[in-house]
Amino acid sequence: MSFSLFGERLKTDVTNWEVGPYHLSLPGPIRLSLKLDGEVIISGEVETGFLHRGLEKCFELHSWKSAIPYADRLDPEAAVFGELVYCLAVEEAANTLVPPRAQAIRIILSELTRISCHLANAVRIARAVGAETVLHYLLRDREKIIDLFELLTGARFSLNFLRIGGVRADVTEGFIERVLDVCDLIRVRLKEYNDLFTFNHAFLKRTINVGVLSPALIKKYGMTGPNARASGINADVRKDRPYSGYEILDFEVPLGRGEGGTLGDAHERFLIRLREVSQSIEILKQVTEGLPLGEYLTPTEDKAVPEGEAYVRVESSRGLLGCHLMSLGGTAPHRVQFRAPSGFHLQAVPELITGLKLEDLSVVLASLDLSISEADR
Amino acid sequence: MSGQGPAWAILLQKVFGLQGNYPNGLLAFVALFFIYLFLIVPGAWIISYVDRKLGADFQARVGPNRAGPSGFFQPLADFLKLMQKDSQEKITTSDLLWIIVFSSALYSSVAVIPLGSSFLMVDTDLSAFIPFLSALVLALGTMLLGFSRPTVPGWFGAIKVAGQAFSGAFPALISLLTAGIRSGGFRWSHLANSQGASPMDWAAFSNPFQFLALIVFMISGLVMMCLPPMEGVVLPINMNGGVTAHLYGRRWAIFRLGRFYASFLWSLVASVLFLGGWQLPEQVNDLLSDSLILKQSLESILLLSKTFIMMLIVIWVSRVNPRTRVDQVTDFAWKVLSPFALLALVGSAIWAGWGLLI
Amino acid sequence: MGGMGALDMSGSLFSTTLSYLKDVFSSVRSILESCVTAIPYLFSAGENRKEVTEQYPDPISSRTADDLPSRSRGLLFNDIDRCTGCRECEKICPNKSIAIETQSGSDPAKIWVSLFDIDFSKCIFCGLCVEECIPGSLVHTKQYEGAVYVLDDLKASFGRGGVTPEMQARWAANRRTHENEEVGF
Repeated sequence: MSFSLFGERLKTDVTNWEVGPYHLSLPGPIRLSLKLDGEVIISGEVETGFLHRGLEKCFELHSWKSAIPYADRLDPEAAVFGELVYCLAVEEAANTLVPPRAQAIRIILSELTRISCHLANAVRIARAVGAETVLHYLLRDREKIIDLFELLTGARFSLNFLRIGGVRADVTEGFIERVLDVCDLIRVRLKEYNDLFTFNHAFLKRTINVGVLSPALIKKYGMTGPNARASGINADVRKDRPYSGYEILDFEVPLGRGEGGTLGDAHERFLIRLREVSQSIEILKQVTEGLPLGEYLTPTEDKAVPEGEAYVRVESSRGLLGCHLMSLGGTAPHRVQFRAPSGFHLQAVPELITGLKLEDLSVVLASLDLSISEADR
Repeated sequence: MSGQGPAWAILLQKVFGLQGNYPNGLLAFVALFFIYLFLIVPGAWIISYVDRKLGADFQARVGPNRAGPSGFFQPLADFLKLMQKDSQEKITTSDLLWIIVFSSALYSSVAVIPLGSSFLMVDTDLSAFIPFLSALVLALGTMLLGFSRPTVPGWFGAIKVAGQAFSGAFPALISLLTAGIRSGGFRWSHLANSQGASPMDWAAFSNPFQFLALIVFMISGLVMMCLPPMEGVVLPINMNGGVTAHLYGRRWAIFRLGRFYASFLWSLVASVLFLGGWQLPEQVNDLLSDSLILKQSLESILLLSKTFIMMLIVIWVSRVNPRTRVDQVTDFAWKVLSPFALLALVGSAIWAGWGLLI
Repeated sequence: MGGMGALDMSGSLFSTTLSYLKDVFSSVRSILESCVTAIPYLFSAGENRKEVTEQYPDPISSRTADDLPSRSRGLLFNDIDRCTGCRECEKICPNKSIAIETQSGSDPAKIWVSLFDIDFSKCIFCGLCVEECIPGSLVHTKQYEGAVYVLDDLKASFGRGGVTPEMQARWAANRRTHENEEVGF
């Protein structure tokens, strides 16, 4: 055996290092090719596509209705947004009206999913900094929301609940009360998370002034959602182009304030998501209070949608989710193309991580709330 | 019973009911074996179990509950599983190097552990520094662990471990000196006898500078040996993998046992230096002055309970809080721990010498 | 030191020391506060602080199929006596998990469903088939424990099996009897 301990020179110049596609600290299967100068990242490249499943093609092979389970799987964690954007696009192309009760149920599901996704993102950030305790608390509370999904739709993640023209079924008995209970519980828990984690000094040290997204970077890559709002850019599809009943609701969109650190650092993104959770609770209370009576589905027969195009935007938990639908009047969509927010966030990653220390990389990637399944489709 | 020989030799002969003169070397070997089997291994078992159960309690989980009553045999199950697995790659010279350095750093100091008034195998003028030195060699071993891999996590991790160890060694040393100032020496017996049984007589509560030194000593020990919660550099969750990411099976068991031992040793030394050691109350001492074995056992139990409580507090803090980056840890050690350690040293020196100054 | 912020070195020695001490104090306090938040969990104090592990499959604390909500989409079951063989489920299934073969039954109006296989290794439990089922024979049960050792065991067969020659003869005889009765023999 040769004594190889100091046989290799200690590499003191620029090192190349490839991480991925499987690594504990990555948000999903991506490959990062990093050039490192000691601890500092000089440049990085992101390679995606490891989770490409040909999802958009699958839409063309099935009827309008049986394509909905595929829309679920655009972003499995936040299934409702995929369904919602697809159904809205088809409804726009087919000029189908959605009854108010169905719109309210869709809002309930959307906001519950938003809370669940933000909690899951907080779990990933906590894992990146090594805070085990708050991680388990967050997962415990997310379970309550997932149980709500099962109560309403029958499934925990792939809901398959929205239909073209409404929703599949009415709310079950006791669902609204359970929703309000969960809202109260989460409000209590938010205070607990703040005591335990949000302002913990070690966490602040890991996230303040780390991974700052400047507004110029955001505009350059078209980033949206909480990532953009944490840098002070006020853009929210629910306010700018309201859909599905958001017009009549009264809520404010949380913006980054930059107190305690830089505007747009990882801590601000974390805070924004917690504030959005409490905002979603407000919206849920409003909607459940005045749940409109009436039909939950405008019956359409799973038949042809007239020829035409539609483009619909939805505010998913990660950003602006768009769906471009083309119909040639057949029994199946001719082409469906999604504009997934995570794809645009990923484009900003190489520029964002230059100058970052290596240990901060997993924290910054977690704070961006990337969904590789959405980006790769 | 022979009246000659060091106290621990006499004790050992009493325990095993030996007659006649035995060479001290043989007795030492027996003593080490005894300590290892009845102290280190059960200690590792209990701490590992309590760590997991306590951590689970904090996190609203149940923790181990299948292996044995309430999961008590979980550490045994872990050990058996780890012994069956190992990395497929052949063991290289660099691997051997870190294993040897690591093990010798830790287990060589088994002889120096103070366990009671008579169970002191090494009671010299500088005996309190020996665990500190073995902790430094431990850091060297962890660094060699990093260097044994020709990968980025390996090299960078190794250098980071070395940097963190240096930054923690300085305040640790200073707070060790502070303890010695009060007792007038670094002999284990001096350190213990300068304290009493009740908390009022402990070194930590005798003056605020000593209390500060205790805090600094514990934290800088964690920093120096990369123990949780300052373990960011060895955690596999970090992007760079940490120095231990490639360890499985037997080598991982060596590393884990080493980490337990480091934490145990440090807490034990802290208990002796600052928390009253093994001192029993005066009345108990008088009662038991005849039965050496009983007195020694009670002293050991007292000392180990204090050690256990210190380790529990560290486990608590590490489970609840996130980890900081390695350069933030070293910053903390150089810019916060060291000034406070120096403050404690100077303050203690003034306090001790006040009588001379006036 | 990152989180301690940029110490304002422009001030006097006293104010720098003061801000340094304040930083140290606030960081120690936040760490201690985090530690204190976890204490109630040690004693399982109150509803909100109990342990939440579901010790499946231990009956101590695990939910059984009956605890699931009524709409839960578990394994599928087809009541073959109600099934009309309309094949709507087969048509709507997003990934062709249902295989149906039919033959004509005891009289020309009826359909004999000879093969009705659901391949659970493909089924995504979306529930579209249950929604489409007109007679309502295909339903979701609440069973979710479907693990098997052999992949082929994942196919569930609900069909009646092929029509044998004896059955065909019997039916033909019945038909002739009915026809004769109608004609008034």
